Amino acid sequence: MSAIAAGAHEAHEHTHYTTTGLDSRKIAIWAFIGSECMLFGSLISTYLVYKGRSVVGPFPHEAWTSPTGEIFKPILNIPVTSMSTGVLLFSSLAMVLALAAVENRGKPGYEGILGSSKFWLLATALMGATFLGFQAYEFTSFVHEGLTIRTNLFGTSFFTLTGFHGGHVAVGVLWLMTLLFIDMKRGLGPKDTILVDICALYWHFVDVVWIVIFALVYLIK
Amino acid sequence: MASSAIPTHAQGASGASQSSEQSGLWSWLTTVDHKKIGILYLYTALFYLLVGGLEATLIRTQLAKPNLSVVSAEMYNQLFTMHGTTMVFLVVMPLSAAFFNYLIPLQIGARDVAFPRLNAFSYWVYALGGLFITLPIFFGMAPNGGWFGYAPLSGPTYGGGFNMDFWVLGLQILGISSLAAAFNFITTIINLRAPGMTLMRMPMFTWMSFVVQFLVILAFPVITAALFFLQFDRFFGTNFYQVQAGGDPLLWQHLFWVFGHPEVYILILPAFGLVSEVLPTHSRKPLFGYNVMAYSGIMIGFLGFGVWAHHMFAVGMGPVADSIFSVATMLIGLPTGVKIFNWIATMYGGSLRFPTSMKFAIGLIAMFTIGGISGVMHSSPPSDLQQTDTYFVVAHFHYVLYGGAMMGIFAGIYHYFPKMTGRFMSERLGSWQFWLNFVGLNLTFFPMHFSGMLGMPRRIYTYDAGQGWDVFNLTSTVGTYMLLVAGLIFAYNFFKSRVSGAPAGSDPWGAPTLEWSIPSPPPEYNFAQIPEVTSRYPMWDLKAPDRMAGIEHSHADAGTIAEAHAVPVHEETERRSAKELGIPIPFPTVKPFMVALGIIILFSGLIVMHAGKFPLAMAMMIGGGAFMVASLYAWLTSPLE
Amino acid sequence: MPTLHLRRVLPVAVIAVALLALAACGGDYPNSTFSHNTELNDGAVFLWDRMMLLGTIVFVVVEVLLVYTIFKFRRREGGPAPRQIQGNAALEITWTAIPALILVFLAVPTVRTIFQNQRQAPTDALQVEVIGHQWWWEFRYPQYGITTANELYLPIGKTVNFSLRTRDVLHSFWVPQLGGKRDLIANRVNHIWFTPKADLSPAAYNGACVEYCGSSHANMRFRTFTVTTGEFEKWAAHQRTVAMGSKAAIAEAAAADSAAKAKPAVKTASIIPVPAPAAAPETWVFPVEKMAAYTLPSTPMPATKFDESLLASGDAAAGRELLTNPANLGKAPCLTCHVIKGETNYANDDQAKGPNLTHIATRHTFGAGLYRLDAKTLALWIKNAPAMKPGSVMPTFGAGEYNALIKQAVPAAAGLSDRQIADIVAYLLTLK
Repeated sequence: MSAIAAGAHEAHEHTHYTTTGLDSRKIAIWAFIGSECMLFGSLISTYLVYKGRSVVGPFPHEAWTSPTGEIFKPILNIPVTSMSTGVLLFSSLAMVLALAAVENRGKPGYEGILGSSKFWLLATALMGATFLGFQAYEFTSFVHEGLTIRTNLFGTSFFTLTGFHGGHVAVGVLWLMTLLFIDMKRGLGPKDTILVDICALYWHFVDVVWIVIFALVYLIK
Repeated sequence: MASSAIPTHAQGASGASQSSEQSGLWSWLTTVDHKKIGILYLYTALFYLLVGGLEATLIRTQLAKPNLSVVSAEMYNQLFTMHGTTMVFLVVMPLSAAFFNYLIPLQIGARDVAFPRLNAFSYWVYALGGLFITLPIFFGMAPNGGWFGYAPLSGPTYGGGFNMDFWVLGLQILGISSLAAAFNFITTIINLRAPGMTLMRMPMFTWMSFVVQFLVILAFPVITAALFFLQFDRFFGTNFYQVQAGGDPLLWQHLFWVFGHPEVYILILPAFGLVSEVLPTHSRKPLFGYNVMAYSGIMIGFLGFGVWAHHMFAVGMGPVADSIFSVATMLIGLPTGVKIFNWIATMYGGSLRFPTSMKFAIGLIAMFTIGGISGVMHSSPPSDLQQTDTYFVVAHFHYVLYGGAMMGIFAGIYHYFPKMTGRFMSERLGSWQFWLNFVGLNLTFFPMHFSGMLGMPRRIYTYDAGQGWDVFNLTSTVGTYMLLVAGLIFAYNFFKSRVSGAPAGSDPWGAPTLEWSIPSPPPEYNFAQIPEVTSRYPMWDLKAPDRMAGIEHSHADAGTIAEAHAVPVHEETERRSAKELGIPIPFPTVKPFMVALGIIILFSGLIVMHAGKFPLAMAMMIGGGAFMVASLYAWLTSPLE
Repeated sequence: MPTLHLRRVLPVAVIAVALLALAACGGDYPNSTFSHNTELNDGAVFLWDRMMLLGTIVFVVVEVLLVYTIFKFRRREGGPAPRQIQGNAALEITWTAIPALILVFLAVPTVRTIFQNQRQAPTDALQVEVIGHQWWWEFRYPQYGITTANELYLPIGKTVNFSLRTRDVLHSFWVPQLGGKRDLIANRVNHIWFTPKADLSPAAYNGACVEYCGSSHANMRFRTFTVTTGEFEKWAAHQRTVAMGSKAAIAEAAAADSAAKAKPAVKTASIIPVPAPAAAPETWVFPVEKMAAYTLPSTPMPATKFDESLLASGDAAAGRELLTNPANLGKAPCLTCHVIKGETNYANDDQAKGPNLTHIATRHTFGAGLYRLDAKTLALWIKNAPAMKPGSVMPTFGAGEYNALIKQAVPAAAGLSDRQIADIVAYLLTLK
């Protein structure tokens, strides 16, 4: 997948004739997102197909008594995950502001910390990292409560689905940090809009996927 | 492979920066030129064609008579698994990719693909991934669970050993290659068309390729997910397809065929595209029903996602699902049939010439029709239950893939060889190859219709005497050797013609499309001047304007097309280097190769992990991963041109 | 001259295909799918015939048009430039509409037949459970309490409802002469049913696994015997008894001897109540001489050496002792995987990894239909099964034979001698 991010930087610094007038990287990232929809579609479908088909617990929404008499609570912690979902949603806002700051660098209204692309890039990355922190906490607590990726079909499909999403967030955070690094080194201006734009598209996509996952996995019983 | 162009032309292209200092191995390792990458794809895929062909020959030798033991059961199972995997992923798809690479930029009037370095990356991932999945057969460890890898036979419980590890990881690697290439070509076709090259003026090969790239980006993620599940089951003890944990083997089948059926069209549509270039050229007539041809391609791609479960009529999906998938499958026959009729109509009333490429193109029409009809026969579940998993199916899809895809690809090779090398392939040898292929393929595959309907199951390494299958099997085996001979003639023709074929000009066939307006082989920048396109047939506008009077043009004054056309024809004498012309050319770089290498090391680490050598495995995975990321960053931060 | 080639080669190809077609129509094809032995296959053959007819029409139309075009429009020197026709909407509609119409003639009977075939089976149908194993078939008749392997008996004129499941990987159940196939899928139970037509005469048919299932997929075959209802009942009545010469049978015989005694408390490992063998009905099996040659396997014999002279003097009692005495479990652990109804077993039907041997001597074939059942072949099999069926789950037992699992020859102390194998074979052949 990283190859795609690679492609997105290809035509760096050069303006070529294009049929649509759009930068090729923008078209490529849209194609990439279309492809990712099928990947997450498959992962989510698998989770839903296996919902309620685990032979043993723990289960997401129901308590479970093991054959040895141990009692397991419903394992999903919706309040905590709601918080991390909120953080991820807000990160999309920060991403929008980062893109605006790059596009309008130097224009009136984009002075100071709130008009700084560095600030918003950092904020987005930090919120992404916070989300990952929540996920790490969630995963560890599940393992402590007796649910691993090997335990049952729920564990298998849950960790795989959310893990893949987490992996995407992690790639996004790295991407944001790279942009931040470039910004610090030489400053990102209007001519670099495309660099931030494709990252923003990716980031929003990853956000939207999470909303779908949150609704289907956590909220629907 | 190392010597770049034909001597006479190389002299002409003296100034080109790729010439002298870059003609060694290093130039191939670092090239980002879509044409050189296309040629790399071509050579590599032809090599794997030989591998897959030898696998087929061994298979057929084992089955020549009942109860033979030329190879062991286990080796046979590896051979048929690898034959399928090789032909699908290492031969037909990359041969198509060779043409995507070589032709798409030339056909749409571009100087390269949108992301030249990503293109090199795709190739190297393919080349190295191909070795990853092919080499284990020499150690008896090749994949042995079928190219379809049905769980739970492919899972850890019943598919122990490394065999299916190589398969599951190898397909992941090859998937990366296909996906990266598809993003690249979608972008290229959308964004790098020359001025005036509207979508509905694109050559039909580019059109079909365009459809294929969408199929790739939508179908491959599904098998990627399915393979991840299998990989996790095998390596990390998850339960996706583990029966004792309640896992459902049908999940794999659904995911696999949601990919697998569009994959069939991924294999065949490029061949359809090539044939749609060859037929009009040698009929001296425009493609009949261009719009319908384009739309039917889209339609096939679209319906291709709705018919996957016709591979699963025997699993007991219930009458409703059976009916839906049955009717949907019948429907897909319509746009396919339309193509056949349009091709015949293209030739009808034309002025037909029969060089080898034309023979193969006609061969495709004749042979694919058989595969198409037997395909419709599979669409009726009650009858299909007698056909599925028998040799009838083997006959069907070999008519589609050999009679269709390979015929189309051979047509493409004979047609475009002069463009790639500046020389013709031998027509005499080509004729021999075609007829041996034509007879051989019918001898090999037609009897399989009979053996299948007479009860012979697929994928069996042996069969008992007296079952009524002997004569068909022996005929098939004889046919296979004929195909092998045809393949060797092709190889001889190919390599000999590269060196000593008759010189061909820039437009040896009198073809209508842009790629024929530039020298053969084309200079690295393709077009000294980006052409402006006014119709679907720019070269015919130029060379036979009288014939083009009735064809729609963006210039109203059809009478003066010859002056109005803006296709610059670059004759040999006009060859100049990119530098002289001031055309920016992407720098050669080894970084895409390094990223690909990093990926292979990373995946190999997983195999080592399965062998229980954890420290080495961790070193390989961390080292390979770090190498990959570092190379990637180096690639991204270095300027393109 | 390329066209010369066409003229020369095309007739050859046409003749070759025609000859093959003739071969296909003329010969004796024991596994043909075009039979009319069941109503299930009538539906398939009807659809096939219709598709064949429509397909042939389409094929001929396309190929005739193609060949005509090739010959008619060859380039001629000095000929006029062809008319540059770009398309024709009426034609496009025509060649979309006509095939669509053709498909309607296919789709309607298809859907009708799908729903017909997948109705609920009649409630009075004979129930047969088919259980797939790597690489053999288990057949159970729950209404009769019979478990058998690799040989399936079906009464003529009676609907049989198969419920299909697998103990390991996927398999697929197929008797080409009797109808379409159905997959055996882990964690699922599949169904298929059909009725061997009442006017059939008793016959043997070949069946096979048609879903790739690993090393010996090709060797996972079975036989189906269609017999008269009377014969079926006779066969079934005998098959459900305990094995002759088994512990239960011996005890029962002893009980019959001393008629005054109370009913012996025989405990069998079997899960189904077993009728007393004293009342055992006559043995009836499908007569081997009625089996057509193609239903008798001719699999080549392995290179395994066996001293055949020992077979004549095989001691059944000693063989039985080897199998049933727990002291011999290390050497002859047969009953940890196989069930012999009436003997002390270590496995029951649901645990058994190997075929049920209760009435093995009444079968004509073994090894999933790979071999004729006779003393010598059985002995070779016990000695080294993997040499006779690649990947066989049954390991090598013969002393001195190479065992792939432990990657060395079986040590003399741990393996069975030819003498012991001959005894076991003698015992197995008493299991009628």
